[in-house]
Amino acid sequence: MYTSTLQIIMTIIHYFFLVFSAIAIASYVILAIISAIETIEYMKKNSFVNYKEILSSTFSPSISIIAPAYNESLNIVENVRSLLSSYYVNYDVIIVNDGSKDDSLSKLIEAYDLIQIDNLFNEHIKTKPLRKGIYKSTNPAFDKLTVIDKENGGKADALNMGLNMSKNKYVACIDVDCLLLEDALQKLIKPFLETTDVKVIAAGGVIRIANSCTVKDGKLLDVNFPKTWLEQGQILEYLRAFLLGRMAWSRLNGLLVISGAFGLFDKKIAIKVGGYDTNTVGEDMEIIVRMRRYMEDQKQKYKVAYIPDPLCWTEAPDNYKTFISQRNRWTRGTIETLKKHRKIGFNPKYKSLGLISYPYWFFFERMAPIIEVTGIIYFGILIFLNEVRWDYAFAFIIVAYLFSVLFSIVAIVSEELTYHQYKKKSIGFKLIMIAFLEPFVNHPTILYSAIKGNIDYYFYKKIEWGTMTRKGMTKA
Amino acid sequence: MNVIYKIVLAEDNSVLSLLLKFRLEKEGYKLLIAVDGKQAIELIEEYNPELILTDIMMPFVSGLEVISYVRNKLNLKTPIIVFSSAGQEEIVLKAFDLGATDFMSKPFSPHELVIRVKRLLK
Amino acid sequence: MNENLHILESLKHSSPIIQLIWGLSCLFFIIIAILTFYLKYLRNHLRVNEKIETKYQEIYESYLVTYLYAGNDEEAFSSEQQIIIEKLKKYAADPFKRKIIVSTLLKLRNEISGEMGESIDKLFIKLGLLRYSLAKLRSKKWDVIAIGIRELTQFKIKAVHKIIMNNINHPKREVRKEMQFYLVHLYAFEGLEFLNVLETPLSEWDQIQLLEVLQLNNNTQIADIKPWLKSSNDSVVIFALKIAKVYNQFEAKEVLIELLNHKCEDVRINAISALSHLNIIEAKNILKNNFNDRGHEEQIGFLKMMENVYEASDKTFLMEHINHKSTEIKLLVIEVLKNINFEEFALNEAELKKTLTA
Repeated sequence: MYTSTLQIIMTIIHYFFLVFSAIAIASYVILAIISAIETIEYMKKNSFVNYKEILSSTFSPSISIIAPAYNESLNIVENVRSLLSSYYVNYDVIIVNDGSKDDSLSKLIEAYDLIQIDNLFNEHIKTKPLRKGIYKSTNPAFDKLTVIDKENGGKADALNMGLNMSKNKYVACIDVDCLLLEDALQKLIKPFLETTDVKVIAAGGVIRIANSCTVKDGKLLDVNFPKTWLEQGQILEYLRAFLLGRMAWSRLNGLLVISGAFGLFDKKIAIKVGGYDTNTVGEDMEIIVRMRRYMEDQKQKYKVAYIPDPLCWTEAPDNYKTFISQRNRWTRGTIETLKKHRKIGFNPKYKSLGLISYPYWFFFERMAPIIEVTGIIYFGILIFLNEVRWDYAFAFIIVAYLFSVLFSIVAIVSEELTYHQYKKKSIGFKLIMIAFLEPFVNHPTILYSAIKGNIDYYFYKKIEWGTMTRKGMTKA
Repeated sequence: MNVIYKIVLAEDNSVLSLLLKFRLEKEGYKLLIAVDGKQAIELIEEYNPELILTDIMMPFVSGLEVISYVRNKLNLKTPIIVFSSAGQEEIVLKAFDLGATDFMSKPFSPHELVIRVKRLLK
Repeated sequence: MNENLHILESLKHSSPIIQLIWGLSCLFFIIIAILTFYLKYLRNHLRVNEKIETKYQEIYESYLVTYLYAGNDEEAFSSEQQIIIEKLKKYAADPFKRKIIVSTLLKLRNEISGEMGESIDKLFIKLGLLRYSLAKLRSKKWDVIAIGIRELTQFKIKAVHKIIMNNINHPKREVRKEMQFYLVHLYAFEGLEFLNVLETPLSEWDQIQLLEVLQLNNNTQIADIKPWLKSSNDSVVIFALKIAKVYNQFEAKEVLIELLNHKCEDVRINAISALSHLNIIEAKNILKNNFNDRGHEEQIGFLKMMENVYEASDKTFLMEHINHKSTEIKLLVIEVLKNINFEEFALNEAELKKTLTA
């Protein structure tokens, strides 16, 4: 009796893992196929778009780039220069110095001939107060630039200050250390302007990893492939996520996140929903979910757009410590966001948002690491009890491994067929190598960080996260 | 008329700069070509040209910054002609504020450019 | 060998699930192997192509520049030009190189005008490239048709107007768009006649591009925009309002004022913006009288208009709204009052600022 009950339970557990993996794999495959179809369509549509025609147009709508900066003194002058050199005409740049303790502000004042000005602005969203005030340049060549010096309140608070300050129709929220490509703004504004049947509320594009790349004076000169497995693995991870996942979600209109490193928003709606949430570590995901929810509640047709073009390059963590703390933070951000908006989940009222996007994120982003680790522990127990059917175990492990390698390689091929950014010889071989290695090298660390994120979230909630180094801290 | 006038041309379109180089060298000027504003500034500092031709929209350092640098940091009175695209009136005004001498709106006729260059370098 | 047989044998006797899984593994492995080789080939191919492309681009650029300076007034094509034409023609037989030639020509065509620009157009035809562009129009693929039309637009080939018009009702939006650009590029306001029959919305992106194209044309005989202002297609009305603004269409004043009561808010907002640009004072009084019935955006548009056309008599109206619940409106009201420059207001200003920034 005892053994048969145990047998049944074990069978159920086995089927659970089997079904979960099968659905996960199926969803990856389906998403990849939709992505491929969408990407081909996008490339066809945009192969003959002349971005020069719109970039120089004064009829194009106004955009504010909002870049929060905290203790970025080292590169701030060059970073701002990169933001100022966009080809778009009708835009300005708002740098929010979020209570930096270093000499960021004085460096900016010197480099860009800034003087303090008086400026009235709308306090749509409550933020921490100004510290030294608002600065503009006396040099007409930099008249796009505004620098705001405020008390420290975190990234979300700084972005909110930027939202208050902006007088433009659209806002581009960006990490100050992001190397923005010159045509990024017109590429990202296009979905807003060409969609006539629904309202585009936000748009995101592809973030690339700038580690080891040659950067001079805030401009990307040469794309290189980093040396460490950790960085290489992340490149692969980004390729998979951006090329094989997001495009499909955009097609299904189910995107729950656009990269916090660079995204464009309809300012009116961003302000209407109350701006960024200062109480979460996942403010970039949270605001998208909240804006979507708002549009659903208003019963307005809307879309979160995504374009597959690489728009900016950013530094990813190059050591395990930063990497783990970044992923820990992403995990907590995801948990917080999903929890805050759990009303959406499985709620038919929210249509595909509630029935597809939310459940997908819940099971395959939020729960996947937990289920995976549970599986590993369970497997360990079975080994201990000598209950392992090695023929099954071996076959499943091999097939899972080969699938993950195959998926990575498909991502690499898509990259070569579309943007071909890693042009140098021998990088192709390294990419294939890392596709084989990554499941052993990066994946365990990611699992570990995710579990740690869960533990931190549930048991050490009250911990003040303090001021973290911002570098590479943004969700891709 | 033994002096050969030097002209710095900052333009990121390679065919256009080649075309203008040919044309202006035929008129007896010496052309120094820069592909972006940064290079232009370096060339200006090194050769101290008699005339500067610069596109406004260039990678990294814009034409406006080139003007600003020449007028404010180098304190030079070198005549500057800027190339703008249609519909960039505001930027052209800014360029004049900064001290540009003349402007040409793209697409422009190279012949017309030569006339203006000659007038400025008389 | 024996061992392999042994493995196969044992696999035969195992459960169907295991057989399936091993089958899948083999399949994945084979695909991985194929993709790896493909990747190697692909990367090489791309690298080589890129090198060739830069090389030929340089060659074609210098040919083009030499060609442009080799002309003389006596002949249509000088002997030196003939030689270059022959050389380029040979290259153009190859589709890959043809593409590079076309893009080289375009690179310069977009930047220069006058005789030299026309000379490039002539070269395009002389090289027989026109034939290829026209062939694209007969393609089954919509993106090829669109590229074909674009090439004809950029080289200003007017004679094919009729063939291109065949696409007026093409099912793909992108093709119709390219056709519209062709018309406006080559015929300016006359080309805009498609607006009379347009039923699909004209996106903001299209509107911006069309306005840009119109601005390229210098000797514009501006068409009568009134029919478009009365169009049943709201996006056409909005586009016409933008034209009214850019080309200062005072003649359309009455129609513009009528549009202040249009059913679509976007149209009303654009109408306010156009009237404001044209400084039409009558509009101000109409809007002043029903200010409270208007939407937020319209109110903001109106106050921006006030900044240019205020009169001292507007003071009462402005004072009514100085405590408006929207900060944005409040700020604009203060701005206008400041312009009117009432002395007593200056006294209040410091106080007001305090309440606003608090």
